Amino acid sequence: MQTQLPQRTLLSLVLSLLFLSMAQATRGCSSSSPQLLSQLQNQANITGNTGSLLEPYILLQRLNTSALRAACTEYPVTFPSEDTLRALSKPRFLNTVHATLGRVWRQLGALRQQIPKIQAFPELERARQNIQGIRNNVYCMAQLLHHTLEIPEPTQAGSGTSPSISTTPSIFQAKLDSCRFLWGYHRFMGSVGRVFREWGDGSSRSRRHSPRHSPLRAWRKGARRIRPSRSSQSPMSRVKVPR
Amino acid sequence: MAFSAVLHPAFILAVLPLRASLSEVLGEPFQLMPKILAVSIQSKLQQVTLQWTVPNLTHQELKMSFQIEISRVKTSNIIWVENYNTTVKWNQVLHWNWKSEIPLECGTHFLRIRAMVNDGKHPPQSSWSNWSSWKEVSVQVSVQPNTLLILPKNKLLEEGSNVTMCLVYGHYLYNASCKLQDEPIHGEQLDSHTSLIKLNNVVFLSNTGTNINCEAMNATDKPFGTVLFVSKVLEEPKSFSCETQDFKTLKCSWEPGVDTGLAWSQQDSQNYTLYESFSGRRELSNHRNSHTWQITEDSQETYNFTLTTENKLRKRSVNIIFNLTHRVHLKAPHDVTLEIISATKANMTWKVHSRGDSYTLLCQVELQHEREVIQEHNVSVHVSASYLFSDLEPDTEYKARVRCADANHFWKWSDWTQKEFSTPEAAPSQALDVWRQVWLENGRRVLNLHWKPLLKSQANGKITSYNIVVENQDRPTESEHYSVWAPALGIQLNLDPSSYKIHVTANNSVGASPESVIALSDDSGREEVHENRINGTKDGFHISWDHLSGDALGYVVDWCAHSRDQHCDLQWENLGPNTTSTIITSDAFKPGVRYNFRIFERSTQQNAQLLEKQTGYTQELAPLENPEVRVNFTSNSVTLNWQDYASDFQSAFVEGYRVYLKSKELQCHPKGKRTLLPDNSMACEYDINDPKQKTFTVKNLQPETLYEFFVTPYTSAGQGPNGTFTKVTTLDEHSHMLLQILLPMTFCVLLIIIACYWKSQWVKEKCYPDIPNPYKSSILSLIKSKKNTHLIMNVKDCIPDVLEVINKVEGPKTQCIGSGKPHAEDVSIKPPSVPTESGSSGPVPCIFFENFTYDQSAFDSGSHGLIPGPLKDTPHQLGLLTPPDKLLNALGKDYMKSLAESPTEETSLIYVSQLASPMCGDKDSLATNPPMPVHCSEYKMQMAVPGSLASPALSENNSLTSMILLGQGEQ
Repeated sequence: MQTQLPQRTLLSLVLSLLFLSMAQATRGCSSSSPQLLSQLQNQANITGNTGSLLEPYILLQRLNTSALRAACTEYPVTFPSEDTLRALSKPRFLNTVHATLGRVWRQLGALRQQIPKIQAFPELERARQNIQGIRNNVYCMAQLLHHTLEIPEPTQAGSGTSPSISTTPSIFQAKLDSCRFLWGYHRFMGSVGRVFREWGDGSSRSRRHSPRHSPLRAWRKGARRIRPSRSSQSPMSRVKVPR
Repeated sequence: MAFSAVLHPAFILAVLPLRASLSEVLGEPFQLMPKILAVSIQSKLQQVTLQWTVPNLTHQELKMSFQIEISRVKTSNIIWVENYNTTVKWNQVLHWNWKSEIPLECGTHFLRIRAMVNDGKHPPQSSWSNWSSWKEVSVQVSVQPNTLLILPKNKLLEEGSNVTMCLVYGHYLYNASCKLQDEPIHGEQLDSHTSLIKLNNVVFLSNTGTNINCEAMNATDKPFGTVLFVSKVLEEPKSFSCETQDFKTLKCSWEPGVDTGLAWSQQDSQNYTLYESFSGRRELSNHRNSHTWQITEDSQETYNFTLTTENKLRKRSVNIIFNLTHRVHLKAPHDVTLEIISATKANMTWKVHSRGDSYTLLCQVELQHEREVIQEHNVSVHVSASYLFSDLEPDTEYKARVRCADANHFWKWSDWTQKEFSTPEAAPSQALDVWRQVWLENGRRVLNLHWKPLLKSQANGKITSYNIVVENQDRPTESEHYSVWAPALGIQLNLDPSSYKIHVTANNSVGASPESVIALSDDSGREEVHENRINGTKDGFHISWDHLSGDALGYVVDWCAHSRDQHCDLQWENLGPNTTSTIITSDAFKPGVRYNFRIFERSTQQNAQLLEKQTGYTQELAPLENPEVRVNFTSNSVTLNWQDYASDFQSAFVEGYRVYLKSKELQCHPKGKRTLLPDNSMACEYDINDPKQKTFTVKNLQPETLYEFFVTPYTSAGQGPNGTFTKVTTLDEHSHMLLQILLPMTFCVLLIIIACYWKSQWVKEKCYPDIPNPYKSSILSLIKSKKNTHLIMNVKDCIPDVLEVINKVEGPKTQCIGSGKPHAEDVSIKPPSVPTESGSSGPVPCIFFENFTYDQSAFDSGSHGLIPGPLKDTPHQLGLLTPPDKLLNALGKDYMKSLAESPTEETSLIYVSQLASPMCGDKDSLATNPPMPVHCSEYKMQMAVPGSLASPALSENNSLTSMILLGQGEQ
């Protein structure tokens, strides 16, 4: 606990700085695609860290016992898997991220109702702001790709729905569900970050082969050619879940 | 129809008593049996409500007792029996509630009831009625197979209460284990598929609830659990009070206690409601600890407030009743002004928030200086008031403040309203406390004048300077003025030996202080009195003295720390005329520091006469340093000396010294004693009880023996620190004697050497001349003894055959060489001497003298040329240069004889004596060091060479006969 505090402070600082740039994004998108991609990678990495939201929630709800922690992570709420994300075209990928984060944002709003005093859980509001920032950057990235984000159709079961807390039978169950939801959110963001990194790697390769072309053009060209990587056949082997 | 409707009840009422009477008559017990109408369940509250009625009630009202039994799971398992007394009205439906300790879902419950009349107005029913039939109460829950249902869910309870939970097993599930957070909890089996867990005295852990989680075998999901929301106990509000400032609003405040709010909307924070009974108004407070109540009716004077706080579990109330005029908390006074009247007076005015002239307020006025209240006054006020502060200090910062309250019904003081102000400066009111130090320096008196700074209350402002007027009493016209800027507290003056009167004043921006006068007599600084030792304590020094004269104006005791520094921090104290003793205390006194005190008597002429000197320590300490000892030693004694040790500047009066001596033998001198040192070694200890004795000699020591010495001073507090012993090895006795012999001998030898050196020439001449003087030969004495006076040949009698004179001749002499005729002066007959002209840069003249007189072969050689001219010309001067034949003749037989008689006894030998310089004979050195002049006027050793060997040499030199060699190069 004591060692987490400075990390959290550092995390807050970084997030604040990122949020500043996100706020800029809301006013107008950056025309620098590498900068935007770098920001998205960083944002995904940071929000993929469980210390930013899940751990404070576990402490707040007193779920920090071995059995309850295990219950949190053994049955994660279903988010789009990393393989699914990787298999998507870039526009679809951005669409999915944007839509999923929209649902997460709303879900976190519902989670706020569980807390008597929001001052006791400042990470929640910060997370919501960060999600908005990431969505803004995703929006800008889609614009750079000349793609218009669509409101996603209702997803089928098992492909990215999040549970409704109101239907949970008991508060105990609601606590576990929220915990699992946050765990799934962090894992999802970790996957998003890795996919974004692959974009960056692909752009580097493209730059090497066609230095005159912009990286963005390379992504657009390669967007259709993205194939599931070898690791997609063994889904868990590549998924490194931040804890 | 209407008639029958009225008649029927009347009939029943008439019949009922009749029936009762009939029952009594018949002896049958009359029983009123209750009839259960309904049993309802409030599952969340775990509450069962029973409704029943009493049919056939014979009276309009009847006091009755009811007994209710409750069983769980089966009717025989009675868990609750309760008697309920009430007055039953005719046709009334009765209610009774029972709260189950376990959730009603956990098992089936059964209820039944019976009754008994319990009314004194009527004949009591002798026994209980029959029981009603059992009513089954159950809440149906469906538990899925392989799951576990834990009840109650989301239970809200208060800290310290008890709770019972039940675990309802689904099919195929067994062996459940539960934990409260991390603590295992255990239950008891209620029936085959239900177990109970009872928790007593639950504690508050978090407002997000306490998690209870269970796991079981064959569970399809895990974990199962529930959350207990344990609320803190609602506290009663404390310090509830209401007051008004303006008769328009009442501000009520209280201490709320702990927040009992819980997360997940299980319980909001407790709310606070005010209810005023006279007006009947109820208002919910928006704050946890205060509420503003609007006064709507001016006529209401009395208020009865009830403050109620409430949460889901508990309600608490407090009540106050008061008269509004008794709860007036005035606003702070306003329009406060301060007018400075003078350096010591200021006037303050202010106004109050009053309801009019009819109301009297009490105001409290305070004057503060440096946060300390120095004046406090009460003033009655209607609307405005003023107060004059007097006795103020000049040049001082003050803070004046005022607050007010209702004078008739004091409730609370208003807040303070304050104003800060400063009084102006005034001239210093007090003369300086002046003292002096006088000493002689180079025949003149040096006066150090000291004064103490005036207190703030005496300075009346910032002291800017000090004026000193030195008035010569012997020459009144000569007075000198000095001015010293603050914060200096002294001045040094050089005075001649006259009487003086010195006036000192302090000045600030307004004026000068009264003057201080100090007088100096002619002999000030020359007083000599004996110094006494005194013993101080940690509280200070007790100083006492004797009166000198009866007309003393007072006494002054001054003191200084005794240090090597002449300029000490002089302190002094003025004492009254009748004082002969005082205790001098000071925070500056330190243990181990000597303080010198002087007592002066002040005369009416302001003159001060030294009475006594006293010196002492507040606390004597052991010496902090040991002396540095110089050691002189002989073979049997050691003398130690530590004259440099400053015994007057130690941390106590040095009472003496201890000398420790260590040796192998450890035989102590009679004056010493054996003692054990801290390092457990033995030593001889010698005590010197005279602190002025700083030398010590230990005698009767063994020669060539190692001794170790250590000298340390001691005071009344102990001796000096442990130090290292100085090691000394005494001298050897024989070496001492040897020294006595060797030294004079060495001296003598040195003297002889010096004398010899001094007379070396004389000795040389006497002992080993370069050319032996045959007359001084030892042989001569033998010859003389034979009275043969012709044995030694006189040079004058010899006719030399060849004379070679080699000499350096300067320019003119070169001409002589060219002429080939040596000047008569160049032919030296004097003993060869060393040329000493320093200015000679040319070759050193070398004289080669070959005495062929002794060359036998020379006689045989006809080739030896002669220099007939000059020889002939100067026969009297060059008598040696005679022809060989003449020489031979001259020598004749005597010569031969002498040869025969010579020690060599060798006729074949010739004797060569030559004067030569090392330079002359060493061609190499000539070649290498041509410009270096070297004395060549040295005689080569005379040696004997065989004639055969000498001949060639001589023949080689034939061409050189009778020539003068010039310069080394030609050599």
